[in-house]
Amino acid sequence: MASGWWLELVRVGALPPSVMVDLREDLASLLHSEVQISASVLDPDPALDLERRQYLATELLERLLDPPPAPGARRIAVAAVDLFLPVFTHVFGTAQLDGQVGVASLFRLRPEFSGAPQDAGRLRGRLLKEVLHELGHTFGLVHCRLPWCVMAASRLPEHIDLKDSHFCGACAPHLAPSCATEVIS
Amino acid sequence: MTEIVPQLLIVDDELHVRESLSHWFAEDGYEVMTAEGGKEALALLGRRSFDVVITDIKMPGMDGLELQRRILEVDPDLAIIVITAYASVSTAVQALKEGAYDYLAKPFDPEDLTRVVEKAYEKLRLRKENILLKERLAATGPKLVLGDNPKMQELMGLVESVATTETTVLIRGESGTGKELVARLIHSRSPRAFGPMVAVNCGALPEGILESELFGHEKGAFTGAAAMRKGKLELADGGTLFLDEIGELSPKVQVELLRVLEDKKIVRLGGNQEIPVDFRVVCATNRDLEDAVRVGSFREDLFYRINVFELRIPPLRERPGDILPIAEHYIRSFSTAMGRQVTGFSEKAESLLKSYSWPGNVRELANAIERALVVCRGTAIEPEHLPISGHDRPQREAEDGDQLSLSAIEHRHIERVLESTEFNVSQSARILGIDRVTLYNKMRKYGIER
Repeated sequence: MASGWWLELVRVGALPPSVMVDLREDLASLLHSEVQISASVLDPDPALDLERRQYLATELLERLLDPPPAPGARRIAVAAVDLFLPVFTHVFGTAQLDGQVGVASLFRLRPEFSGAPQDAGRLRGRLLKEVLHELGHTFGLVHCRLPWCVMAASRLPEHIDLKDSHFCGACAPHLAPSCATEVIS
Repeated sequence: MTEIVPQLLIVDDELHVRESLSHWFAEDGYEVMTAEGGKEALALLGRRSFDVVITDIKMPGMDGLELQRRILEVDPDLAIIVITAYASVSTAVQALKEGAYDYLAKPFDPEDLTRVVEKAYEKLRLRKENILLKERLAATGPKLVLGDNPKMQELMGLVESVATTETTVLIRGESGTGKELVARLIHSRSPRAFGPMVAVNCGALPEGILESELFGHEKGAFTGAAAMRKGKLELADGGTLFLDEIGELSPKVQVELLRVLEDKKIVRLGGNQEIPVDFRVVCATNRDLEDAVRVGSFREDLFYRINVFELRIPPLRERPGDILPIAEHYIRSFSTAMGRQVTGFSEKAESLLKSYSWPGNVRELANAIERALVVCRGTAIEPEHLPISGHDRPQREAEDGDQLSLSAIEHRHIERVLESTEFNVSQSARILGIDRVTLYNKMRKYGIER
């Protein structure tokens, strides 16, 4: 690969394939690294907690590592189900810090989840930023203090809207060098 | 500049909870360590420090409440956040009563946890910063030079005790004993240390001007009041107001000041708007205020209002052990300021310093050392450099004084001080603790000429 790493997107369960296509297109235009959609689909059911009716995010990460990604590859799963971590009510996504896999869900990113009208464009933008955010964690990036950086912590979906779809100048160099300048806005 | 990374300790017997929380906070940039029980947590705390501890309450062996007690015994400032799946108001209240920073019931919204931890860390950071700033302020602030005099040691203890309160303080002592320095010490060690310290010499100004100085005035309040001006009482807002020579206040200003001290509001001269003020009052006097109350020149109600906590500074003659340490302090201070290499006193100069009565107290001693440094060309001060003589020894003065009237003693003392300063009126006035005009008046009265 030209940039030394590439991204593999994995569809989780019943997520519409069109979401993956749009996401791949958005990511490819920003990253200038190869972005592939995996042919296989990850079954979320083994991660289902029947009592909470939510899916354990760390369990999905475990499953994403089987088989392990090739060296240099990043693998991000995209789900439509509600994710959680033990002790937390929910998470938008999670990733291995300085690892290779991550998962993001659009379940709580949908504007109608917080009572707003449906908005496909806004949802697409939020999902793109959430995937970039989890991708950043796989490169060892922690939350950024600049509120407009895509690595800023987002506790609410509305916070994601306030961020750019870019890494700030401090975060970008932590990604593979060949893509860093491409990613800076 | 390297950013300080918050240190977090997570204590929970369940592996998946420890992993979830450490993963979450690692993403936030915290340095996270985990322990599966109280014993392991205490061992970690013994080896290194943390800023925030998140602990489960229900754990086998030592539970979270016991762990919290053990931690706070050693480090009462550590922020502890307790979490539990067995949410109950009584457990929460118990934990908070025993010093927990906050309480969360599992499962919790990630936003709530992050907010609580960030607030706890911020509070801790501010507390540490506050302690550091206070230490720096104390290190650079005013200092009272002490020997081994028990009265002065006791005075410093009282200053430290009263400084942290809001109590009104009355400082009593002869002229030149350092009343303003003690007032500044109280201010610098008080919670108002970051506010202003405003000093007013009530004896230095005529009534009308003092009123304007204290209360300020509106534009056009009187001839010459071209613009609004805030008074000292208003400028002291948030800090300490030091009223020196309070016994010299005129009856009119006494009434006005009493009203301010009662109401904590002022009205500028020529104005009608009440302005709230918040200051701590420290007063000083060398007068016998009880006597002034008896003869009616000082209001009794104002006296009781300002005499809440009394500090008495003993005169220098009552603490001869302090003379040399203070003199040496001024040698260091003036030598640095003047670029001199003077390091101490000859034996004879030391003995002269100790035998002199120092009627002008520390101020006179400081002036004497300053003068000595000006004329000293070597590394040690000799008796001839000091503007005092052995004739002024207290014993002899007391013997002579038995036979003289008070005004005769004053006459003679003024003459001696003037002679010792080679008739330098400013320096003599400083030594005598009076202003130059008063000294000129007294020289005229006693017919003292050069």
